[in-house]
Amino acid sequence: MITQVENPILEIHDLTVSYDQNPVLWNVDLSLPAGNLIGILGPNGAGKSTLIKAIMGLITPTSGYVKVFDKPLNDVRARISYVPQRESVDWNFPASVLDVVMMGTYGKLGLFRRPGKKEKDLALKSLEQVGMNGFVNRQISELSGGQQQRVFIARALAQEADLYLMDEPFAGVDMSTETAIFQLLQEMTAAGKTVIVVHHDIHSAMTFFDWMIMLNLHLVASGPKELVMNEEMLRKTYGGKLNLLTRVTDMIRQKDFNPLKS
Amino acid sequence: MTFDSNAFLIIFTGSLIAISCGFLGVFMMLRKMSMTGDAISHAVLPGIVIGYFVSGSQRSLEVIIGAGLLGILATLMIDWLRKKARVQLDASIGITFTLLFAIGIILINLLAYKVDLDQECVLYGEIAYLPIDSWITKSGLNLGPRITWLAGLNFFFVSGFIYLLFKELTLTSFDENFSSVMGIPSKGVNLALMSIVSYTTVSSFESVGAILVVALLVVPPATAFLWTKSLMPLLKLTAGLGISISVLGYYLAYWIDSSIAGMMVTVAGGLFGISVLIHSKKPSWLRGTSSVKEPFGV
Repeated sequence: MITQVENPILEIHDLTVSYDQNPVLWNVDLSLPAGNLIGILGPNGAGKSTLIKAIMGLITPTSGYVKVFDKPLNDVRARISYVPQRESVDWNFPASVLDVVMMGTYGKLGLFRRPGKKEKDLALKSLEQVGMNGFVNRQISELSGGQQQRVFIARALAQEADLYLMDEPFAGVDMSTETAIFQLLQEMTAAGKTVIVVHHDIHSAMTFFDWMIMLNLHLVASGPKELVMNEEMLRKTYGGKLNLLTRVTDMIRQKDFNPLKS
Repeated sequence: MTFDSNAFLIIFTGSLIAISCGFLGVFMMLRKMSMTGDAISHAVLPGIVIGYFVSGSQRSLEVIIGAGLLGILATLMIDWLRKKARVQLDASIGITFTLLFAIGIILINLLAYKVDLDQECVLYGEIAYLPIDSWITKSGLNLGPRITWLAGLNFFFVSGFIYLLFKELTLTSFDENFSSVMGIPSKGVNLALMSIVSYTTVSSFESVGAILVVALLVVPPATAFLWTKSLMPLLKLTAGLGISISVLGYYLAYWIDSSIAGMMVTVAGGLFGISVLIHSKKPSWLRGTSSVKEPFGV
């Protein structure tokens, strides 16, 4: 169940990635449309993070290639932004919230140039968008996990990219914040940006995403939510964890399902 | 009290070296690479010997280039062992610098009849001889102590490097992957930092030696990091500590008639110890700002 699109914003061709000769992603071949909120779903160890790291060139694939905006990755880096997993950095780093968000503007500034008023305003606007404007001068070591995650999202927003890749941005983020940020992401995609999110919660995935990629070492599905979100695909992706799956598919059948009401 | 120009020169040179090392040390510490600085300071030995052998002078450009190349080689080797051979970071540092240092010792012995150099002169410098080692031009003009000029030049390079690449250094220290995604060459920034650490190490050899230069790279930044959690104050405090270390180290060494460089590092260790003691008591004004909870509204 793989839907290919015309004029894709991202095209992955026959991608295989291995660590120490052990392939962790096999023959992923997909294309994604612009202006969509795209979710990557799959069980632990399915290669979700590996896929987005390979898209950004942080991991060299064993075979295959990635094209973004129909160009090789190195030509379009300024238009791509990344929200890494929160644990990937040391939060004891001596920086304030504003310092970290300003880092998002460094790519466009170029070598030797320093951020000025324009960059600062952009950073403040981004912090406001994630509801962190009360924490501008707070040291990052004094933030909670969810707040750190929001700082990372603000940093990506400050980059003003066209394609956003987010690796589990909602880990440790509370429900109301998650909904608020999802709404923000929907506004961004409505404005023509493309957002790809590695996500764990099938319930909220069904509510917010337009397009789904399901992954379990192989690509199981890639397509519009309505076509992809069914029992067969979920079973293929998550294997035999039936208890959960029947509950989820029951919920899919209830047409006006809203995870926030229950 | 009369103005003692020798004392001033020694303290001034000591401060320049301590500040240069401290500035680089801050970024090494933030990259969790403090011990890589240690490795570099030892690994440059074969480069110095070869440079000396090629040029026939201990003070030539070849020595600095040789040391710089070996410093980069050490960095690449540590990185390769860690990433490709899957050796732990501390083990790969231990393997790399002892191996390169050993090669340096063998080279010194092999070339001993041609090279007026021994391990002692690399391991232990002597800043007290600085005022009698003047830089005299061919026409006989005395321009003052050579080591002070070297330290000044080094300070100029280090400050310029950090000033120009401040945002790149900060970003790659904090989040290397993010900077790579944006197209900032994190590997290039890293190698540039390692080269300038090698250069600083070499240019500080004659005054403080390879062992004590490591202390100046590690101890002042670590002390300053106990007191502040922002980058600019951290750099300023490190510089301040560098100056205090030089002043206190000189006068204490003068007082008990001992090694100045040794005393400088002892003072650095002492200041660190005091900072740790004060911090373990945790007075209320050091606990940072209190966290104010605010509701989330978008």
